Amino acid sequence: MASLAQSSISLPSLSNRPLVPRAGFSKPSSVSLSISGRNFPSIALQSRGRQFQVRCAAKPETVEKVCELVKKQLALPEGSAVTGESKFAALGADSLDTVEIVMGLEEQFGISVEEESAQTITTVQEAADMIDKLLESKA
Amino acid sequence: MKIHSVSTRYSWSFVCMTSLRDRAQLMTNTRCFGRNFVTASSSLPPVQLPAQREVHFWYVLPDEVKSTNLLNQYLEILSPCEKEEIFRIREEQLKKSALLARALVRTTLARYQTKCQIDPKSFKFKKNNYGKPEVDWQSADDWSLPPLHFNISHTSSLIACGVAVGSPIGIDVEEKQRRLKNDILAFAQRFFSPHEIETLTHIADPELRLQEFIKLWTLKEAYVKALGKGFSASPFKTFTVRLRDHMKGDIHALRHVIYKAPDITVEPSVDLKNPSSNWEFVLLELAGSHYAAVCIEQDSIDPGSKSGNGSMPINLTLRKTIPFVEDECISANDSAVVIGGLARLAVCD
Repeated sequence: MASLAQSSISLPSLSNRPLVPRAGFSKPSSVSLSISGRNFPSIALQSRGRQFQVRCAAKPETVEKVCELVKKQLALPEGSAVTGESKFAALGADSLDTVEIVMGLEEQFGISVEEESAQTITTVQEAADMIDKLLESKA
Repeated sequence: MKIHSVSTRYSWSFVCMTSLRDRAQLMTNTRCFGRNFVTASSSLPPVQLPAQREVHFWYVLPDEVKSTNLLNQYLEILSPCEKEEIFRIREEQLKKSALLARALVRTTLARYQTKCQIDPKSFKFKKNNYGKPEVDWQSADDWSLPPLHFNISHTSSLIACGVAVGSPIGIDVEEKQRRLKNDILAFAQRFFSPHEIETLTHIADPELRLQEFIKLWTLKEAYVKALGKGFSASPFKTFTVRLRDHMKGDIHALRHVIYKAPDITVEPSVDLKNPSSNWEFVLLELAGSHYAAVCIEQDSIDPGSKSGNGSMPINLTLRKTIPFVEDECISANDSAVVIGGLARLAVCD
């Protein structure tokens, strides 16, 4: 599967002061950060070898809606297991399917996805994260 | 927050980075002894490397592979990491598809060492910075192969692997009858370039419009995959693929009107970061059911490539295969037609 051999992360420029997580990094599953008194949604840290993948977890309802749309786009039988972790390709999506899924999500959520993002999303979770992020910046 | 991830374009790549231990093990496995091994690879007839401006196009039809025994043989030549990825897939057809894709790449590449037997299992793969899978030739210092370039593409009904020497290659296959969930024009408005949208808009018949859409899609995919820099480097909206219809005829003898397949060109809409006059395309119709697009880089020192009129056609060798079982050379008389680009279907040697 297309696994992240390299991830590059740029955090928003709020961090004039260093991020101080409450939990240690040794075996993190979830860390909540508090900067300038503002609580961020929980950030899940996963270690992949030497690299860390940081993402802001999307709302479960968003993940659910993405799952539904993916099932429809790929015409998956009822009861197919589709979760946040599901990779589009593992569900049988090719690049055209992925772009169609993105287009469907744009219509459903009333958002506009960057060109570059449209074909680089690989999992349900990534799609949901992106949607919530876009919705947040719209609000 | 931007997370760069690898697109589904390179989905069946299963690239597992070579660990030190793997490398050590690899050294003992890749001896190419120059005598016949009684291994699985002995039933892979060796093939001459593609020449310059030559593309080898191999494909397998999943429906033709039914034997569990055979599927197990394919499983055996995968790396542990690839096997693991396949076991993670739940749905049977998808599992099979993924397995065939990996087996196709490994067995195809193994054929090109004609002097001795390469165990298909011994290939190591890596990804370039943008996620495009490549052979890790550094793990293969025992062999005397020039760097082959390959690219794979699959639909549920056909899995293909294109091979070239001396040029990066991108391929894409799609079913001709593939339906879109979205309206074609709405989709094109969103993702295609203005000229392409216009082309599609001018086709009234929905079936023909769909076919043209799919042709454009496969060509655009093949181009981006050939570039190997991921979708971010060349979003679909930023370049235009044109199929220019050609009719060449001798006006004095109309019965000798020759239909020449449309020329295919690609132009960047905006930026000149990727000089695109160097890329050449072939568009095929396979078995009446699929479109296949191939994109390779023009050889800049090829005298034929500079002049517009005197371009030499790309030789494309088409082979349908069931690895370890049989290979069938597909010629232009069979159900394979070049429908775009300057190319001809060459006979297999």
